[in-house]
Amino acid sequence: MEPALRAGDWIVVRALSRPPRVGEIVLVRDPRKPENLMLKRVADVADGACTVLGDRPDESTDSRTFGPVPLANVLGRALFRYGPIGRIGWLW
Amino acid sequence: MLLTRLLKPTITASAHCDLPCGVYDPEQARIEAESCYKIIEKYNASSDEQFKTRAIVIKEERAELAKHHIDVLWSDYFKPEHVQKYPEITELCWKAAKQCSKVKGSLDIAEAKTLLDMIDKIADVWTKAGGPQATRVAKAAAARA
Repeated sequence: MEPALRAGDWIVVRALSRPPRVGEIVLVRDPRKPENLMLKRVADVADGACTVLGDRPDESTDSRTFGPVPLANVLGRALFRYGPIGRIGWLW
Repeated sequence: MLLTRLLKPTITASAHCDLPCGVYDPEQARIEAESCYKIIEKYNASSDEQFKTRAIVIKEERAELAKHHIDVLWSDYFKPEHVQKYPEITELCWKAAKQCSKVKGSLDIAEAKTLLDMIDKIADVWTKAGGPQATRVAKAAAARA
């Protein structure tokens, strides 16, 4: 997800109160391994599932590999980065 | 410190796939290159033919590993924005990888030294590009000292 997100960023994620929209960064459960949480960008929402893609297609494992993620497994929306200090800012 | 502990997130999410691991450090190549250097030293100091034969075999392995680690840095760690900012990195990696082949086939310690210097230049760029913070896991204070 570079450059939007980098390893070690501290992110505030808000529980989903409405369906995610295209372009937002969401926290999803990896359908292949539910204890694995991932942050990916929404590319499409249809039929109760969300297609998520990494920002770096050639290095990302995303819906191209594991398919659309059911909305039940979309846990929240990334709102804000509060660390590191130099990169504090909104994510939407 | 307390504040940091309070603010530190408790849940970790990955923003890329579980692989690649994202740990990249020219030190990995350097250690293999140092092995080559020391092996050549030992080779030259020895008169034991069996030892010398083994030394050659092992040096060739190590040189190959050094080349592999440089290739990984080059193709996986350095991104287009790094190349834009530090255009010399492409040639540095390319030449260092070639130098590994030279060291593989040579018993000239000067070639091994050249390789070490080349890897150090790559390490300089890696450091300037924020590599240590971006790719390494912090060591415990005692291990750093």
